[in-house]
Amino acid sequence: MTASKSTMLELAEKFALYGKKKGATGVEVSIDEGSEFRAAVRDGELETLTEAGSKDLQLRIFVDDKMATASSSDFSDSTLTQLVDNAILRAKLGGKDPFAALPKAEKVTAKAGDLEIFDPAILELAPEKKISYAKQAEAIGLKQEGVTKSLGSSFVTVDRTRTLVNSEGFSGSYRGTIGYATAYFQAGEGDNLFQDGWSEGGTTLAKLPEPEVLATTAAGRVTRLVGARKVETQNVPVIFEPPVTASLLLGFLARCVDGQAVSQKQSFLVDKLGEKVASDRVIIIDDGLLPGCFGTAPFDSEGVPCRKTTVIDNGELRSYLLDTYYGRKLKMRSTGNADGTTNFYWAAGNSKPEDIVKSVDVGLLLTGTIGQGTDTTTGDISIGAFGLWIEDGKPVFPVAEITVSSNLADLLKGVEMVGNDLRFLDDTNGPTVKVAEMTIGGTAAKG
Amino acid sequence: MGDIERREFLKMAGASTGAVIASGLFHDRLHAGTLPPPGLGMFEDRFGVSKEMVQQVLSAALSKGGDFADLYLEYKKANRVEMQDDIIKESDEDITLGIGIRVLNGQQTGYGYTSDLSLEKMKQAALTAAAIAASDARSKVAGLRAVAPDKQVYQTKSSFADASLDDRIAMVKEAYAAAAAHDKRITKVVAMLSDELQYVTIANSEGLLVSDARPQARIFVFATAEEGDTRVTGVGNAGGRVGTAFYRTAGSRPKDIGTDAAKEAILLLSAVNPVPGDQPVVLGSKNSGVVVHEAVGHPFEADGVWRKTSIMWDKLGTEIASPLVTIYDDATIPNSRGSLNVDDEGTFTRKAVLVEKGKLVGYLHDRLSARLLGVESNGHGRRSSFRRMPIPRMNNTILARGDSEPEEIIKSVKKGFFAETYSGGMVQGTGKFTFSVNLGYLIEDGKLTAPVKNATLIGTNVQILKEIEMVGNDMDYFLGTCGKSGQGATVTAGTPTFKIREMTVGGRA
Repeated sequence: MTASKSTMLELAEKFALYGKKKGATGVEVSIDEGSEFRAAVRDGELETLTEAGSKDLQLRIFVDDKMATASSSDFSDSTLTQLVDNAILRAKLGGKDPFAALPKAEKVTAKAGDLEIFDPAILELAPEKKISYAKQAEAIGLKQEGVTKSLGSSFVTVDRTRTLVNSEGFSGSYRGTIGYATAYFQAGEGDNLFQDGWSEGGTTLAKLPEPEVLATTAAGRVTRLVGARKVETQNVPVIFEPPVTASLLLGFLARCVDGQAVSQKQSFLVDKLGEKVASDRVIIIDDGLLPGCFGTAPFDSEGVPCRKTTVIDNGELRSYLLDTYYGRKLKMRSTGNADGTTNFYWAAGNSKPEDIVKSVDVGLLLTGTIGQGTDTTTGDISIGAFGLWIEDGKPVFPVAEITVSSNLADLLKGVEMVGNDLRFLDDTNGPTVKVAEMTIGGTAAKG
Repeated sequence: MGDIERREFLKMAGASTGAVIASGLFHDRLHAGTLPPPGLGMFEDRFGVSKEMVQQVLSAALSKGGDFADLYLEYKKANRVEMQDDIIKESDEDITLGIGIRVLNGQQTGYGYTSDLSLEKMKQAALTAAAIAASDARSKVAGLRAVAPDKQVYQTKSSFADASLDDRIAMVKEAYAAAAAHDKRITKVVAMLSDELQYVTIANSEGLLVSDARPQARIFVFATAEEGDTRVTGVGNAGGRVGTAFYRTAGSRPKDIGTDAAKEAILLLSAVNPVPGDQPVVLGSKNSGVVVHEAVGHPFEADGVWRKTSIMWDKLGTEIASPLVTIYDDATIPNSRGSLNVDDEGTFTRKAVLVEKGKLVGYLHDRLSARLLGVESNGHGRRSSFRRMPIPRMNNTILARGDSEPEEIIKSVKKGFFAETYSGGMVQGTGKFTFSVNLGYLIEDGKLTAPVKNATLIGTNVQILKEIEMVGNDMDYFLGTCGKSGQGATVTAGTPTFKIREMTVGGRA
């Protein structure tokens, strides 16, 4: 369903020119066009099937150092013309902002082909095969001991072409695909139920796991929680499983090194560049050019080339992640992160995950969290948690309905072991990580 | 819901809000003060979608054997103006136009959508949706009967669609200035006004044809206070399906919202960390509606009932809560953020009682759940845009008033925690939830003492429903945007002050 690149380029160029003609000093036109396919199955039957094409145009207009934005899914000539006219009027009524500007056009050297972001095989896969994959994964998961119910399994493919034109001379376009599958299950009895699952895929079909792998991973994640109970309030070492390293530690850190948060002083990492903010073992990188990963692209939504940026190197804060605006504001250059992180990861260490567990006398293996209890300004974390309680280096029982809390600054400095199990399964990835201490909130402490 | 969806780089959003200009696009199409007249309204006048075309699209949708089809035409214009660093920094205008076509085949749903309202593209989307069934046409499309909603709980007259950009800027500046001037420790303010006007027309194979015009507005202020190494942020907001007059009413004037945010930030400067562990918790009326919404409301959405994934699916008619608890959802509260004249499937909205004196008496239904469970839809089918299929959602979810004075409730606690405002909440289908409390207080010897930050509440809905010990006679509303299955919905949730016997409070010791 993707229209030819040239049609969209022509449309973007037309409205960039029109904006200039009507008095804008800078114009950026971005068009996303694509299609999606989603099949969801439950209890062996296809439950929902969505298939559609979609398009959206986004516009940024500059009049000197004032900016206005607009977007539309209505591509009619009259609407888009009016949208540009309105944006010019609005920009003129806005406040002068010396940092508002388009980036100077930079040459994009990455070749879309080398990035492995488009795989026709994903699109050629017959709908029946996608549906039967999801059915198979669900059926295998349901057979695993302890799984009581399917919460659904799905197969999703996406095809998108992004086109970007600006009045500084940038003109570019690339096409990307995504294919992934999910499986979620319930386990437990009575009112003490648990849910979890797994989702995996990538930009190429080769990244899709076998249905057995998806299903057993998903099922294993939920059945191990059955019978979970609370523990007493106490301070213990905590081990983050790779998905939690990614979702909690890296997800939160990404918001703290984001140019906007730093510029607005809503990050505990303000003014900390060049300083030691983590243990020597910590290396954290954003790399938009990793072939075949979810966050990979030749350029960001402003046309700035994607690149590899080391954020924390052996514990030292080296870089924030910046777009053009906050780069100018912080007197730095854009790092090609106008869309946020690209592929954000915590570099692998040397420890085997099982050795990390063995190293803990009493502590928590954190396998999942619930809630959004993080504050970028202070670095404070306080969040609902699921996991396995560790005694004498072994998981002994599952825990739930507890909270874990600490501060990200303390956690990063308290990193004691880093696993060798980094895998690129998502756009944010990490290995197993052990930190010295977190506060567990649970039942009243004895004595 | 703990529904986990991958970030996708296909930009399907359109959910963002955006700023209008006085000379907006479709001012001539506004129907001041009244509902759109029965029929296709602007979709026919402006985009050329006729009744005959709708009939043909619905026929195409049923051509492969589905047993029900509907279509949802949406045109929405959203605006946003934002001030920070003492300047009007951003203004945005967003236009959403499209049609979503759904086909039901037993429990199965096929869905297609397009932004192109030509007959050819609409039929193509209908045929895609039709593919959920695989036989010859079995059902016929009834002749379309245009009806108007049976009530009007908001007006398009004097809505923001008629306001100029200058009017909007003046409001945002007033809110910003009030927050900035409140205290010299306020170091950063962000103030924004979002407003939208959404037109929808819904038609289905049973012959329904109904339209609605829905305004929505909200002012948000974030105020950051600093003292020494401490930096904290307070939030103020007010809005609903209201016009500009709402923001000239005491309590919801832009300056009141700005002052609210600044006051909270200043209080947080002296806040302490909570005492972690299980303890009595009093939930204040101001914002604790979010707890009712997340912990109590979601399990009553009937998709989790027919799928048997909600903890409540088999509990209809049983005692699930303390007898002090009555909960209902009412989409007909005038001008409320969560209200609707008709839901996104064209069903007329009405009040739905969920829990009566502790007993589970009903669920929130869309057409599909109602059909599968053999009841009538009570008008809770909602969708975030034409790109998504409707699912059962809340609107304005309310824990009914009790008899206790709020002070009496606090007085009953020797040592515990009082929750006033929240920065987030989440619940799983299993009933397990967490809430992040932005501002709370310690309760010591029956009195609120030190303000508290960084607290988290955790528990299960079954437990807290049974452990509600006292319910106050006051009432206030939380305004929110609820996310479920990747779809945002505007909601409110109301509660009196109420007390839970024991709940786990997390936070740094």
